[in-house]
Amino acid sequence: MSVSLDIKYAARLLAKKPAFTALTVLIVAIGLGLTLYTYSLLNSLVFTPLTLNNDKPIYAVEAQYDYTHLSRRPADPFDLYKLKNELNLLEDLGVYQEGTTFVGGAGANTAIRKFNSTYVSWNIFEFAGVQPILGRGFSPEDHFEGAEPSVVLSYEVFQNYFRGDESVVGTMVPLDAEPNRIIGVMPEGFAFPAIAEIWQPLPQVSVAATERSYNGVFGFARLADGVTLSQLRTEMDAYSTELSTRLDEDMNWRINTDGKYLSAEPFKKAAITQYYSMFMAMFVVVFLILLLACINVGNLLLARVNQRFKEIAIRVAMGVPRKRLILQMLWESIFICSIGGLLALLLAAWGLEISNQVFDQTYAVDNLKPFWWHVQIEANGIFLLISAVVAMIFITGYIPAWRALSGDFNAVLRDGTRGAIGKKAAQASKVLVISEIFLSCVVLMMASILLSTSYSAGIADYGVETENRLTAQLQLPPVSFGIRRDTEFEHADRLKRSAFYYALKDELESQPNIQAVAMMTELPGRGEGTSYYEIEGREAPVYNENPYSNNEGVAKDSWRALGMRIIQGRDFDHRDIGEGVLSIIINESIAKEFFPDGDAIGQRVRRANPGNKGEWNTIMGVVSDTFHGSTMRSSSTSYNSYHIMDNWGLFRVNMAMHYTGLQVEAEKTLLQAVDKVNTDVGVYHIQSYDNLIKQPMMLVVAVSKVFLLCGIIAAFLAASGIYAVASNSISQRTQEIGVRRALGSSDAGIMRLFMLQASQQLAIGLTIGIGLSIWLVNFMSETMIINDLSYVLGMLGVPLLIIFMVLLATFIPTKKVVLMEPSEALHHD
Amino acid sequence: MITTSATSKSLVTLNNIKKVFFTDDVETHALNEINLSINKGEYLSITGPSGCGKSTLLSLLGLLDTSTAGTYQLAGHEASDLSRDERAKIRNKEIGFIFQAFNLISDLSVAENVELPLTYRSDITKSQRAEMVKDALEKVDMQHRANHFPSQLSGGQQQRVAVARAIAGNPSIILADEPTGNLDSKNAQVVMSLLDRLHDQGATICMVTHDPRSAARAGRTIEVFDGKIVSDQLTEKSQAVVL
Repeated sequence: MSVSLDIKYAARLLAKKPAFTALTVLIVAIGLGLTLYTYSLLNSLVFTPLTLNNDKPIYAVEAQYDYTHLSRRPADPFDLYKLKNELNLLEDLGVYQEGTTFVGGAGANTAIRKFNSTYVSWNIFEFAGVQPILGRGFSPEDHFEGAEPSVVLSYEVFQNYFRGDESVVGTMVPLDAEPNRIIGVMPEGFAFPAIAEIWQPLPQVSVAATERSYNGVFGFARLADGVTLSQLRTEMDAYSTELSTRLDEDMNWRINTDGKYLSAEPFKKAAITQYYSMFMAMFVVVFLILLLACINVGNLLLARVNQRFKEIAIRVAMGVPRKRLILQMLWESIFICSIGGLLALLLAAWGLEISNQVFDQTYAVDNLKPFWWHVQIEANGIFLLISAVVAMIFITGYIPAWRALSGDFNAVLRDGTRGAIGKKAAQASKVLVISEIFLSCVVLMMASILLSTSYSAGIADYGVETENRLTAQLQLPPVSFGIRRDTEFEHADRLKRSAFYYALKDELESQPNIQAVAMMTELPGRGEGTSYYEIEGREAPVYNENPYSNNEGVAKDSWRALGMRIIQGRDFDHRDIGEGVLSIIINESIAKEFFPDGDAIGQRVRRANPGNKGEWNTIMGVVSDTFHGSTMRSSSTSYNSYHIMDNWGLFRVNMAMHYTGLQVEAEKTLLQAVDKVNTDVGVYHIQSYDNLIKQPMMLVVAVSKVFLLCGIIAAFLAASGIYAVASNSISQRTQEIGVRRALGSSDAGIMRLFMLQASQQLAIGLTIGIGLSIWLVNFMSETMIINDLSYVLGMLGVPLLIIFMVLLATFIPTKKVVLMEPSEALHHD
Repeated sequence: MITTSATSKSLVTLNNIKKVFFTDDVETHALNEINLSINKGEYLSITGPSGCGKSTLLSLLGLLDTSTAGTYQLAGHEASDLSRDERAKIRNKEIGFIFQAFNLISDLSVAENVELPLTYRSDITKSQRAEMVKDALEKVDMQHRANHFPSQLSGGQQQRVAVARAIAGNPSIILADEPTGNLDSKNAQVVMSLLDRLHDQGATICMVTHDPRSAARAGRTIEVFDGKIVSDQLTEKSQAVVL
């Protein structure tokens, strides 16, 4: 009965102050909602191990991540199987390679479509514990040389491309213009290892390697019973160290400069290595926002307790048991946090739905979204929410309950005032203000740095014209464009490939709506990488002390289509084509930095790799600057050099065309031209240049938007929280101000004193906040460039903003109290 | 109406003082037509029932509040029209306060609390301040607690520190608002004896009190009722001194 009275009383108090109630519920909902959202996001993307139909988690086993080029690296299958067979650390191991395959065409009665193909070891479906719904999976014999080429379809390809026709199982279908037998169809949603739309067996050499080779595969594995991940890593490091001592020179590129080679990571984490630090930073920021929300709500309730101190004193006088008083204080928190928790659930669900849309949009062009990237609130998310609500009830309820129990009730009842603030309460107020300052500082700094960086990347000048430019990828069918390596025909085969690209370029440029066509291995805005070059006569003793650049292959006469221009020397032409002819064009930044006297033309450079060196290339020209890769990534560079692609004979190239009129017409022209030159050539990823640049950054931009939201929320919580905490702290010192004034302090003296005290709290809070922010920014900068402007904005702008907020939040309430007559301040209730 | 006339020895002179509080639509006349003169060296008690206006009167005397009408002279200064900072200066130099709730600052030690009003004065050096604090604490017999914090002291000890703070700057007048109101009889007796001693040493004291025994220790008692002085008379103690 007494509990129901307390509940009624708490509900009445909250109903009596609807604005206060709404504000506190909103703060709780925002704090918990963001936490639940971020946890659910990371839970789906990283935290929950991928197990498929097995209890044991799956690990990615491959070469160490390449932080220079931000890419995962395959390992030699020989090493992976050796690890499995000799060290007995792995219960099961499968290997795969990802690629793209054109299905249909080549005389078949179906249109050509590109699909993500995964080349796998035969045991993939057994490993996953998932069997085909039609036909069969792979058997070891499917790897054998001379075995009939086979393919297993995903349910989605089966439904959308083959229209669910079960009779296709067992029939032949062209894959890259080569007939393959469809042997099975997998269940709906199955895309293991990540993005597979069709599965094809790897060649025998990749699943039963008997010797070391240039082959590279990625592994998926489960640990043997009793083996831990750290144990596996230790053994891998030992294996790498031992291997590095006896590896042939032509194979030692497998080993990193730090002596490491193989790595094992949880499967989901491996897929987002380049974003991992950003996601973790987001999690830290969101956790800090939750703390900020807790402090704000706790402070609001504390301020209310201060107002209700006399009522509490009366209850104490009437003999309220201590537990009952605490419980009564908690009821308000229970109401506020529970309602806030429910709203948080709705907010998080809404945010996750938007995230799913963003993921779909991000990977709409190439369908590269890993199959587990569907985020939702799961049971452990609900458990976290309930735990957070309970924790929040105690945090936000404890502060006012503690204040309620620590007061001098006798003095309150006797004086009719709250009594002077106690030493402990004063210290608690200081701690609250300092906490508010440092939390606000970290959250605002992180949000502003990330926002500013992603905004800068969005508006960065990549050095190319993107307006009225259409991009696409071209892929040649391997059968009709095969290369007979190490034979007298090899160079001719390569030129045959290049001939196709030039024929297509000529065909397109003869169309009235196409101005110019460029072909490159990677277009500016994409690519990125660093290769070290020695300049003849200026070779550095260690390879990585030489100048570096991103290196691309390019077709003749490509610059104008991209709005680039030759600044010095000449473009590639027929003189650069031929076996052993090695020409290079460098960009303006390299020329200015390393050939400041303008004497770059005719100089020779060669690639400097650890352990080996390339052939000397003669610089033929200097081209205007472009930026390959996003400006947000640390591996992106403004140093670029180009080789003519003719001699390489590329299997796949990226192209950009400058068109007039409508984009849709240009797309039609492109498809018609490809069809005219060679119907078996695949053309895909057709998109505007702007979209091409934006595409890889969409996830970062999406995360930045979450940071923007965090930033806005943090600014709101920080501004309101700092004001409320400072105001409450000063309000509790009203009598002290009255005493000081009664003793003769001037108004200015009191203002000075309080501003000085606020400055001391600022100094402590900002020192902790800036220190933590620097640590977090360093953590993030492993995978992205934090540009100078963002750093200045974050490290200077945010502290200045907080200094302004704190001083204002101190000035206004102090001034208000100072303007009271001392007699009023002395009897302030 | 009983009035007291200002003499050449007057330290405080109130003429036709009015104080009205405005709360929403309600006007409360806390003080009405108060005329009062306090001479240097006088020990005055102000008595009256709760809500009669005696604390308001003390606040006006202490320049803690401003009157709605009337004039006020303190130690030769016209105090009615002073700016906020000028009033602060006079409070600091001329007035010493003793509050019922002690009003010591919990963050400051005993010595720092006593030193506090002295720190607002630019004409006193640090060493002088230390000397004055020491003297004041000796007078109230609290020098041994100089480094303690208020929370470590009993109520009586806190009030003795408050007295030390009030007298540290050698003010012209000490204003005490129910100085024994929060104390037990033993501690009340100690504090009242302290005030007696200060008066004997020449201090001017004006004390608001409910307690007739405390009031009887003053040389003069005025009684306030409904915002007016209804009685102003010398006490037996004063008469004994005169006789």
